[in-house]
Amino acid sequence: MVNPVLFIVVPLGLAFAIPLLKYISKKIIRFVPALAFLFNLVFALRLIPVVMDHPVHVHIGGFIPPMGINLVAGPVGMLFVVLIALVGFLVSVYAFHPVKEKYEDRYHILYMLQLTGATGVVLTGDIFNLFVFFEILCLASYSLVAYLGNRAGIESAVKYLIQGSLGSGLILIGIGLLYGQFGTLNMADIAGRIHSVQPVSVYVPLVLFITGFGVEAALFPLNAWLPDAHSSAPTTISAVLSGIAIEVGLYAVLRVVFTLFGISNMMGFFLVLGVLTLLIGELCAFSQDNIKRMLAFSSIGQIGLLVFAFSLASTQGITGGFFQLASHTLGKALLFLAAGYMITRTGSMEIASFKGMGKTMPFTSLAFTIGAFSMVGLPPFMGFPGKFMILKAALHDGQMLTLILLGFILIATVIEGAYFFRVVQVLYFAGDDLPDRERAPAAFSRLVPIFLFTGLIIVLGIYPSLITDLLDASALELLDRPGFIKSIIP
Amino acid sequence: MRKLISIILLGIVATGLFMSISQIPFGEPGERMGDHFIREGVKETGATNIVTAVVVSYRGFDTLGEVTVLFTAAMGLGAVIGLVRRKKTHPVIEPASLIVYTGCRFLFPVILLVGTYIVIHGHLTPGGGFQGGAVVASAFLLMYLGCRGKRIRENLSRGLESLGGLLFILLGVTGLLIGGDFLFNFLPLGEAGTLISAGIIPLIYLAVGLKVGSELAGIIDHLIENTDELSE
Repeated sequence: MVNPVLFIVVPLGLAFAIPLLKYISKKIIRFVPALAFLFNLVFALRLIPVVMDHPVHVHIGGFIPPMGINLVAGPVGMLFVVLIALVGFLVSVYAFHPVKEKYEDRYHILYMLQLTGATGVVLTGDIFNLFVFFEILCLASYSLVAYLGNRAGIESAVKYLIQGSLGSGLILIGIGLLYGQFGTLNMADIAGRIHSVQPVSVYVPLVLFITGFGVEAALFPLNAWLPDAHSSAPTTISAVLSGIAIEVGLYAVLRVVFTLFGISNMMGFFLVLGVLTLLIGELCAFSQDNIKRMLAFSSIGQIGLLVFAFSLASTQGITGGFFQLASHTLGKALLFLAAGYMITRTGSMEIASFKGMGKTMPFTSLAFTIGAFSMVGLPPFMGFPGKFMILKAALHDGQMLTLILLGFILIATVIEGAYFFRVVQVLYFAGDDLPDRERAPAAFSRLVPIFLFTGLIIVLGIYPSLITDLLDASALELLDRPGFIKSIIP
Repeated sequence: MRKLISIILLGIVATGLFMSISQIPFGEPGERMGDHFIREGVKETGATNIVTAVVVSYRGFDTLGEVTVLFTAAMGLGAVIGLVRRKKTHPVIEPASLIVYTGCRFLFPVILLVGTYIVIHGHLTPGGGFQGGAVVASAFLLMYLGCRGKRIRENLSRGLESLGGLLFILLGVTGLLIGGDFLFNFLPLGEAGTLISAGIIPLIYLAVGLKVGSELAGIIDHLIENTDELSE
């Protein structure tokens, strides 16, 4: 059994080593991120059966919590570690074919740090340590958005930087207030004491946390940075930002709401917030002509759906939420990679310029179509079981508010279907006056990740039971707050 | 109307902040973690500087994270600022006056010495890797002011940066192999208050000092190169 701390330390160490490796050979550094995340993927998958039995606790430096920092590798943490490693590995294979020659080493370092930060956030059991890793994730994201060095990239990176730093500042104030009251930073320890004080003295930290993490999680109305940042970043980074970064932000919100504060009387607010985020995201996506902006707005919509699913606060709802989260991670990474690959050929992000790509790039177009169908929720792709589980959970919940909101969700899905089918129509049935394009030789390092993402979406769409055990265990971990606290602070 | 809503919201937040802060027992004993650190800190870590004991030992993983935050910021700055730099030009540099020039040459080694002292004595007296590293970097800033035209070698500073980070991780992994926990203090604690004591704490601070010093010097270098061009 591998110690979970290595999922953080190995990529971090390799990132530190890249400037030295550069002296040996400039060529090898582009394979380092793939190596690191392949290690994480293989060992995280092997750790999952152990974690399903009982969570693995790691005490850094040998200090027993709450004195030292601890890592909690439970089902939720490992689910995220596997997703991060999987997307990290496949996207770094896509980057074998460099995005830009200049400063390639810095790109790879920042890419690895970004995903190391994400892994740290989902594994740690200490609220300040979570903040530190969250900062690593955010800082690396800001600079990677600006990596192409064009005007749009730098402008959106600055927007992202300002909103993100404001959010981080709020989180830090929240942590300070909690530490002042409880004298401890361990999440389980705080959670065990939070009901011993009057609720009125902890509502400000709660609000600060939700607002701060909400910026990264792209909750409405804190998501103004997202469409610009996701659309002007390099293709690989868009895939990671949409597939990993906002999900990790959402994870932080879930941890705070379910575990740290253990609140159950705010769920109505989150249900409405989720559906509002969903509707606004999908409506904005519908009116876009730029493919990457459309995908970015679609991510906002999907996050809204996830917030709705988790706010049902039932085992079914949370399991469905996690399934949809995994489906969105794989689907959006695929869509961004496929769209990015087509953009390199057409040279334009306008949807109209994709006319007839179904003939020029049949394989990539097919992969994009499958990703789009999965995103809408058509069987037999991965989006279908996810949306179906959420639908079932909402019907099972049966409250008037939930049912009304469910109606809005169905409307949003119709809108989602409309704009995705529009792209598919442009790809295949855009009429006769096709632009004359040569079929260029395919870059295998780009096609292989696209192929693997497509395969995963189909396989998990047909056999959802491959992962539902892990997702059920994750839902239990989130809902069983006393058990979580007891396993860390006996 | 908008102002009224803002004022009401501000009032709610202010009341909440007040309610939270009024619960905090400032300066009173009985804090859960703080008490433990003060009473047991020297015994458990061997460092007489309790701040260092907390920063490097109890919360050493946070420190690794903070070092990484700084590394990320330096990398990001290098990647973004490098993009703005268009062509390498050599503007005529006006030399500094004799007083500044002589002062810099005299102070440079002294500041380096003080910085190194602060790094090495981090577990005994106030200071440590971050503070000492910042002092070392300030020596290079002074050199840029006084001895204009001199540059640090970028390859060297980036190599040291990497070595510092790798040393930190290597110490942590050695602890994992020997003691079963990452960053476990596997060296003997020695007699508290002597230079060679507290196990791996001075070594970690040495790594941090190396990294912070070279990183901040690198950041200064990047920023100076860029203003050179803007002034044209």
